[in-house]
Amino acid sequence: MNKNRPVNLNLAAFRFPVTSISSILHRISGVILFLSVPLCLWALQSSLTPGGFAEVKSVLSSGIAKFITWAILSMLAYHIIAGVRHLLMDAGIGETLQGGRFGANAVIALGVLTAVGIGVWIW
Amino acid sequence: MQFSIYRYNPETDKKPRMQDYELEIEAGSDMMLLDALIALKEQDPTLAFRRSCREGVCGSDGLNINGKNGLACITPVSALKGKKVIVRPLPGLPVIRDLVVDMAQFYRQYEKIRPYLINNDEPPAREHLQSPEDRAKLDGLYECILCACCSTACPSFWWNPDKFVGPSGLLQAYRFLIDSRDTETSSRLADLDDAYSLFRCRGIMNCVDVCPKGLNPTRAIGHIRSMMLQQGL
Repeated sequence: MNKNRPVNLNLAAFRFPVTSISSILHRISGVILFLSVPLCLWALQSSLTPGGFAEVKSVLSSGIAKFITWAILSMLAYHIIAGVRHLLMDAGIGETLQGGRFGANAVIALGVLTAVGIGVWIW
Repeated sequence: MQFSIYRYNPETDKKPRMQDYELEIEAGSDMMLLDALIALKEQDPTLAFRRSCREGVCGSDGLNINGKNGLACITPVSALKGKKVIVRPLPGLPVIRDLVVDMAQFYRQYEKIRPYLINNDEPPAREHLQSPEDRAKLDGLYECILCACCSTACPSFWWNPDKFVGPSGLLQAYRFLIDSRDTETSSRLADLDDAYSLFRCRGIMNCVDVCPKGLNPTRAIGHIRSMMLQQGL
Protein backbone atom coordinates (compact mmCIF):
# COMPACT_ATOMS: atom_id res chain seq x y z
CA MET A 1 0.00 0.00 0.00
CA ASN A 2 1.47 3.28 -1.11
CA LYS A 3 0.68 5.92 1.52
CA ASN A 4 2.16 8.83 -0.46
CA ARG A 5 -0.73 10.16 -2.47
CA PRO A 6 0.24 11.61 -5.83
CA VAL A 7 -1.01 15.03 -6.92
CA ASN A 8 -2.07 15.80 -10.45
CA LEU A 9 -0.03 18.93 -11.07
CA ASN A 10 1.46 18.32 -14.50
CA LEU A 11 1.21 21.89 -15.78
CA ALA A 12 1.83 20.77 -19.36
CA ALA A 13 -1.39 18.73 -19.21
CA PHE A 14 -3.59 21.73 -18.43
CA ARG A 15 -5.14 24.17 -20.80
CA PHE A 16 -4.79 27.74 -19.60
CA PRO A 17 -7.19 30.53 -20.61
CA VAL A 18 -5.80 33.79 -22.01
CA THR A 19 -6.36 35.51 -18.66
CA SER A 20 -3.84 33.20 -16.99
CA ILE A 21 -1.35 33.59 -19.87
CA SER A 22 -1.53 37.35 -19.38
CA SER A 23 -1.10 36.87 -15.63
CA ILE A 24 1.96 34.61 -15.86
CA LEU A 25 3.57 36.99 -18.37
CA HIS A 26 3.04 39.76 -15.81
CA ARG A 27 4.86 37.66 -13.24
CA ILE A 28 7.67 36.65 -15.62
CA SER A 29 8.20 40.22 -16.81
CA GLY A 30 8.34 41.34 -13.18
CA VAL A 31 11.03 38.79 -12.32
CA ILE A 32 13.10 39.76 -15.37
CA LEU A 33 12.77 43.45 -14.48
CA PHE A 34 13.91 42.71 -10.96
CA LEU A 35 16.92 40.78 -12.25
CA SER A 36 17.77 43.62 -14.64
CA VAL A 37 17.93 46.22 -11.86
CA PRO A 38 21.70 45.67 -11.16
CA LEU A 39 22.47 46.05 -14.86
CA CYS A 40 20.47 49.28 -15.12
CA LEU A 41 22.02 50.66 -11.92
CA TRP A 42 25.50 49.80 -13.20
CA ALA A 43 24.80 51.60 -16.48
CA LEU A 44 23.46 54.62 -14.61
CA GLN A 45 26.42 54.71 -12.20
CA SER A 46 28.99 54.39 -14.99
CA SER A 47 27.33 57.02 -17.14
CA LEU A 48 27.52 59.76 -14.48
CA THR A 49 30.97 60.97 -15.59
CA PRO A 50 31.43 62.51 -19.08
CA GLY A 51 33.94 59.83 -20.12
CA GLY A 52 31.81 57.08 -18.61
CA PHE A 53 28.75 58.31 -20.49
CA ALA A 54 30.53 57.92 -23.82
CA GLU A 55 31.75 54.49 -22.77
CA VAL A 56 28.27 53.26 -21.76
CA LYS A 57 26.93 54.72 -24.99
CA SER A 58 29.39 52.74 -27.05
CA VAL A 59 28.71 49.53 -25.05
CA LEU A 60 24.97 49.98 -25.58
CA SER A 61 25.33 50.38 -29.34
CA SER A 62 26.44 46.79 -29.88
CA GLY A 63 23.85 44.38 -31.27
CA ILE A 64 23.55 42.19 -28.17
CA ALA A 65 23.29 45.23 -25.87
CA LYS A 66 20.55 46.66 -28.07
CA PHE A 67 18.68 43.38 -27.84
CA ILE A 68 19.00 43.34 -24.04
CA THR A 69 17.84 46.96 -23.83
CA TRP A 70 14.91 46.14 -26.07
CA ALA A 71 13.99 43.11 -23.95
CA ILE A 72 14.12 45.09 -20.69
CA LEU A 73 12.08 47.98 -22.09
CA SER A 74 9.52 45.60 -23.62
CA MET A 75 9.15 43.78 -20.29
CA LEU A 76 8.75 47.11 -18.54
CA ALA A 77 6.06 48.19 -21.00
CA TYR A 78 4.17 44.90 -20.67
CA HIS A 79 4.45 45.01 -16.88
CA ILE A 80 3.03 48.55 -16.77
CA ILE A 81 0.16 47.75 -19.14
CA ALA A 82 -0.78 44.59 -17.21
CA GLY A 83 -0.50 46.57 -13.96
CA VAL A 84 -2.96 49.15 -15.27
CA ARG A 85 -5.37 46.30 -16.03
CA HIS A 86 -5.01 45.13 -12.44
CA LEU A 87 -5.88 48.64 -11.23
CA LEU A 88 -8.94 48.69 -13.48
CA MET A 89 -10.01 45.30 -12.17
CA ASP A 90 -9.58 46.53 -8.61
CA ALA A 91 -12.00 49.29 -9.57
CA GLY A 92 -14.44 46.61 -10.72
CA ILE A 93 -13.83 47.01 -14.47
CA GLY A 94 -13.40 43.88 -16.58
CA GLU A 95 -14.20 41.33 -13.91
CA THR A 96 -16.69 39.33 -15.99
CA LEU A 97 -15.53 36.35 -18.05
CA GLN A 98 -15.88 38.32 -21.31
CA GLY A 99 -14.36 41.43 -19.75
CA GLY A 100 -11.45 39.45 -18.37
CA ARG A 101 -10.76 37.78 -21.72
CA PHE A 102 -11.00 41.10 -23.53
CA GLY A 103 -8.69 42.77 -21.01
CA ALA A 104 -6.11 39.97 -21.19
CA ASN A 105 -6.15 39.97 -25.00
CA ALA A 106 -5.86 43.75 -25.05
CA VAL A 107 -2.91 43.70 -22.65
CA ILE A 108 -1.06 41.11 -24.73
CA ALA A 109 -1.82 42.95 -27.99
CA LEU A 110 -0.71 46.29 -26.55
CA GLY A 111 2.39 44.62 -25.12
CA VAL A 112 3.36 43.21 -28.53
CA LEU A 113 2.67 46.58 -30.22
CA THR A 114 4.82 48.51 -27.76
CA ALA A 115 7.58 45.89 -28.06
CA VAL A 116 7.57 46.41 -31.84
CA GLY A 117 7.51 50.18 -31.35
CA ILE A 118 10.44 50.03 -28.94
CA GLY A 119 12.33 47.86 -31.44
CA VAL A 120 11.78 50.42 -34.18
CA TRP A 121 12.96 53.19 -31.85
CA ILE A 122 16.13 51.29 -30.82
CA TRP A 123 17.25 50.07 -34.25
CA MET B 1 -14.01 7.32 -29.35
CA GLN B 2 -10.67 7.14 -27.60
CA PHE B 3 -10.02 8.04 -24.00
CA SER B 4 -6.84 8.39 -22.00
CA ILE B 5 -7.59 8.17 -18.30
CA TYR B 6 -5.41 8.83 -15.25
CA ARG B 7 -5.06 5.64 -13.24
CA TYR B 8 -3.59 5.18 -9.80
CA ASN B 9 -4.18 2.33 -7.40
CA PRO B 10 -2.42 2.85 -4.05
CA GLU B 11 -2.42 -0.93 -3.43
CA THR B 12 -0.40 -1.83 -6.52
CA ASP B 13 0.97 1.32 -8.22
CA LYS B 14 4.04 3.30 -7.23
CA LYS B 15 3.18 6.08 -9.63
CA PRO B 16 0.09 7.19 -11.52
CA ARG B 17 -0.15 6.26 -15.21
CA MET B 18 -2.39 7.07 -18.18
CA GLN B 19 -4.47 4.20 -19.56
CA ASP B 20 -6.11 4.15 -22.99
CA TYR B 21 -9.71 3.09 -23.50
CA GLU B 22 -11.94 2.85 -26.51
CA LEU B 23 -15.70 3.25 -26.54
CA GLU B 24 -18.06 2.71 -29.46
CA ILE B 25 -20.43 5.63 -29.71
CA GLU B 26 -23.09 5.29 -32.37
CA ALA B 27 -22.69 7.81 -35.15
CA GLY B 28 -25.03 10.74 -34.73
CA SER B 29 -25.66 10.02 -31.06
CA ASP B 30 -24.21 11.86 -28.10
CA MET B 31 -23.76 11.26 -24.40
CA MET B 32 -22.33 13.01 -21.41
CA LEU B 33 -18.76 12.23 -20.41
CA LEU B 34 -20.09 10.69 -17.19
CA ASP B 35 -22.16 8.18 -19.21
CA ALA B 36 -19.03 7.35 -21.19
CA LEU B 37 -17.07 6.80 -17.97
CA ILE B 38 -19.84 4.54 -16.63
CA ALA B 39 -19.70 2.53 -19.88
CA LEU B 40 -15.92 2.30 -19.57
CA LYS B 41 -16.31 1.09 -15.99
CA GLU B 42 -18.35 -1.83 -17.37
CA GLN B 43 -15.34 -2.73 -19.54
CA ASP B 44 -12.94 -2.27 -16.66
CA PRO B 45 -14.57 -2.41 -13.21
CA THR B 46 -11.36 -1.27 -11.49
CA LEU B 47 -11.82 2.30 -12.79
CA ALA B 48 -12.82 4.57 -9.90
CA PHE B 49 -14.57 7.96 -10.03
CA ARG B 50 -17.20 9.83 -8.01
CA ARG B 51 -20.68 10.59 -9.24
CA SER B 52 -24.09 11.00 -7.73
CA CYS B 53 -26.88 13.13 -9.18
CA ARG B 54 -25.58 12.96 -12.80
CA GLU B 55 -27.14 16.34 -13.64
CA GLY B 56 -24.74 19.03 -12.43
CA VAL B 57 -26.30 19.62 -9.02
CA CYS B 58 -24.32 17.55 -6.52
CA GLY B 59 -20.82 18.54 -7.67
CA SER B 60 -19.31 15.07 -7.21
CA ASP B 61 -17.78 14.47 -10.63
CA GLY B 62 -15.49 17.46 -11.05
CA LEU B 63 -12.64 16.31 -13.31
CA ASN B 64 -9.85 17.75 -15.41
CA ILE B 65 -11.17 17.11 -18.92
CA ASN B 66 -8.79 17.81 -21.81
CA GLY B 67 -6.88 20.12 -19.50
CA LYS B 68 -9.86 22.08 -18.21
CA ASN B 69 -11.85 21.43 -15.05
CA GLY B 70 -15.54 20.66 -15.41
CA LEU B 71 -18.35 18.34 -14.40
CA ALA B 72 -18.36 15.07 -16.38
CA CYS B 73 -22.16 14.79 -16.11
CA ILE B 74 -22.88 18.02 -18.00
CA THR B 75 -20.02 17.80 -20.51
CA PRO B 76 -21.22 16.26 -23.80
CA VAL B 77 -18.55 14.11 -25.45
CA SER B 78 -19.40 15.78 -28.78
CA ALA B 79 -18.02 19.03 -27.34
CA LEU B 80 -14.63 17.44 -26.60
CA LYS B 81 -12.05 18.02 -29.28
CA GLY B 82 -8.87 16.14 -30.08
CA LYS B 83 -8.10 12.54 -31.01
CA LYS B 84 -8.24 11.32 -27.45
CA VAL B 85 -10.25 12.64 -24.56
CA ILE B 86 -7.83 13.06 -21.68
CA VAL B 87 -9.40 12.69 -18.26
CA ARG B 88 -7.38 13.47 -15.15
CA PRO B 89 -8.38 14.07 -11.53
CA LEU B 90 -8.87 17.63 -10.26
CA PRO B 91 -5.42 19.28 -10.06
CA GLY B 92 -3.61 20.05 -6.83
CA LEU B 93 -5.47 17.73 -4.48
CA PRO B 94 -4.01 14.39 -3.29
CA VAL B 95 -5.27 11.47 -5.38
CA ILE B 96 -6.86 8.66 -3.38
CA ARG B 97 -7.41 6.43 -6.40
CA ASP B 98 -7.82 7.01 -10.16
CA LEU B 99 -10.08 10.06 -10.54
CA VAL B 100 -11.01 10.31 -6.86
CA VAL B 101 -9.27 13.09 -4.94
CA ASP B 102 -9.08 13.91 -1.25
CA MET B 103 -11.17 17.06 -0.83
CA ALA B 104 -10.19 17.65 2.84
CA GLN B 105 -8.07 20.74 2.13
CA PHE B 106 -10.87 22.24 0.07
CA TYR B 107 -13.47 21.62 2.76
CA ARG B 108 -11.15 22.96 5.47
CA GLN B 109 -11.03 26.31 3.66
CA TYR B 110 -14.82 26.25 3.31
CA GLU B 111 -15.21 25.61 7.03
CA LYS B 112 -12.89 28.56 7.80
CA ILE B 113 -15.24 31.15 6.31
CA ARG B 114 -18.08 30.05 8.66
CA PRO B 115 -20.53 29.10 5.89
CA TYR B 116 -23.70 29.71 7.85
CA LEU B 117 -25.81 32.69 8.79
CA ILE B 118 -24.88 34.32 12.08
CA ASN B 119 -27.32 36.77 13.63
CA ASN B 120 -26.70 37.97 17.15
CA ASP B 121 -29.78 40.17 17.37
CA GLU B 122 -32.84 39.27 19.40
CA PRO B 123 -34.56 36.45 17.47
CA PRO B 124 -37.65 37.77 15.67
CA ALA B 125 -41.09 36.37 16.50
CA ARG B 126 -41.33 34.47 13.21
CA GLU B 127 -38.38 34.84 10.84
CA HIS B 128 -35.67 37.20 9.56
CA LEU B 129 -37.29 39.10 6.72
CA GLN B 130 -35.34 40.29 3.71
CA SER B 131 -36.36 42.74 1.01
CA PRO B 132 -36.41 41.46 -2.59
CA GLU B 133 -33.51 43.85 -3.33
CA ASP B 134 -31.38 42.39 -0.52
CA ARG B 135 -32.30 38.88 -1.58
CA ALA B 136 -31.23 39.66 -5.14
CA LYS B 137 -27.71 40.37 -3.87
CA LEU B 138 -27.31 36.64 -3.15
CA ASP B 139 -27.90 35.67 -6.78
CA GLY B 140 -24.74 34.38 -8.41
CA LEU B 141 -23.38 33.40 -4.98
CA TYR B 142 -25.68 30.87 -3.35
CA GLU B 143 -25.70 28.60 -6.44
CA CYS B 144 -22.20 27.25 -5.71
CA ILE B 145 -22.28 23.43 -5.46
CA LEU B 146 -18.77 23.03 -3.98
CA CYS B 147 -17.52 20.88 -6.86
CA ALA B 148 -14.01 22.39 -6.41
CA CYS B 149 -13.52 22.95 -10.15
CA CYS B 150 -12.59 26.60 -9.49
CA SER B 151 -10.28 26.20 -6.50
CA THR B 152 -8.37 23.34 -8.13
CA ALA B 153 -7.92 25.43 -11.32
CA CYS B 154 -6.37 28.26 -9.29
CA PRO B 155 -2.54 28.47 -9.23
CA SER B 156 -2.67 30.46 -5.97
CA PHE B 157 -4.62 27.58 -4.41
CA TRP B 158 -2.17 24.99 -5.83
CA TRP B 159 0.77 26.62 -4.09
CA ASN B 160 -1.01 27.55 -0.83
CA PRO B 161 -3.99 25.21 -0.34
CA ASP B 162 -3.58 25.50 3.43
CA LYS B 163 -3.46 29.30 3.65
CA PHE B 164 -5.38 30.72 0.67
CA VAL B 165 -9.14 30.27 1.08
CA GLY B 166 -9.54 29.84 -2.66
CA PRO B 167 -12.19 31.04 -5.12
CA SER B 168 -14.96 28.74 -3.92
CA GLY B 169 -14.51 29.59 -0.24
CA LEU B 170 -14.26 33.31 -0.98
CA LEU B 171 -17.40 33.28 -3.13
CA GLN B 172 -19.18 31.69 -0.17
CA ALA B 173 -17.57 34.18 2.22
CA TYR B 174 -19.04 37.03 0.18
CA ARG B 175 -22.42 35.28 0.10
CA PHE B 176 -22.59 35.72 3.91
CA LEU B 177 -20.86 39.11 4.00
CA ILE B 178 -23.51 40.61 1.73
CA ASP B 179 -26.47 38.89 3.40
CA SER B 180 -28.61 41.59 5.06
CA ARG B 181 -29.58 39.14 7.84
CA ASP B 182 -25.99 38.39 8.90
CA THR B 183 -24.58 40.51 11.73
CA GLU B 184 -20.98 39.23 11.75
CA THR B 185 -19.79 41.25 8.75
CA SER B 186 -16.87 42.95 10.49
CA SER B 187 -15.52 39.81 12.18
CA ARG B 188 -15.87 37.90 8.90
CA LEU B 189 -13.82 40.62 7.18
CA ALA B 190 -11.26 40.57 10.00
CA ASP B 191 -10.86 36.79 9.54
CA LEU B 192 -9.82 37.33 5.92
CA ASP B 193 -7.51 40.27 6.60
CA ASP B 194 -4.05 38.74 6.17
CA ALA B 195 -1.54 38.24 3.36
CA TYR B 196 -2.92 34.86 2.26
CA SER B 197 -6.61 34.16 2.94
CA LEU B 198 -7.97 36.72 0.48
CA PHE B 199 -5.04 38.60 -1.00
CA ARG B 200 -3.35 35.60 -2.66
CA CYS B 201 -5.90 36.08 -5.43
CA ARG B 202 -3.97 37.53 -8.39
CA GLY B 203 -6.94 37.92 -10.69
CA ILE B 204 -5.86 35.04 -12.92
CA MET B 205 -9.56 34.23 -13.50
CA ASN B 206 -9.12 30.50 -14.12
CA CYS B 207 -11.97 30.10 -11.62
CA VAL B 208 -14.40 32.12 -13.72
CA ASP B 209 -13.24 30.27 -16.82
CA VAL B 210 -14.08 26.83 -15.44
CA CYS B 211 -17.11 27.31 -13.13
CA PRO B 212 -19.77 24.87 -14.40
CA LYS B 213 -22.48 27.06 -12.85
CA GLY B 214 -21.24 30.24 -14.54
CA LEU B 215 -20.42 31.97 -11.25
CA ASN B 216 -17.77 34.66 -10.79
CA PRO B 217 -15.46 34.27 -7.77
CA THR B 218 -13.12 37.00 -9.11
CA ARG B 219 -15.88 39.59 -8.82
CA ALA B 220 -16.89 38.35 -5.35
CA ILE B 221 -13.25 38.67 -4.23
CA GLY B 222 -13.16 42.22 -5.62
CA HIS B 223 -16.30 43.07 -3.65
CA ILE B 224 -14.78 41.66 -0.44
CA ARG B 225 -11.69 43.83 -0.97
CA SER B 226 -13.89 46.89 -1.49
CA MET B 227 -15.80 46.10 1.72
CA MET B 228 -12.50 45.76 3.57
CA LEU B 229 -11.31 49.08 2.17
CA GLN B 230 -14.55 50.80 3.13
CA GLN B 231 -14.32 49.43 6.64
CA GLY B 232 -10.72 50.62 6.91
CA LEU B 233 -11.55 54.21 5.94
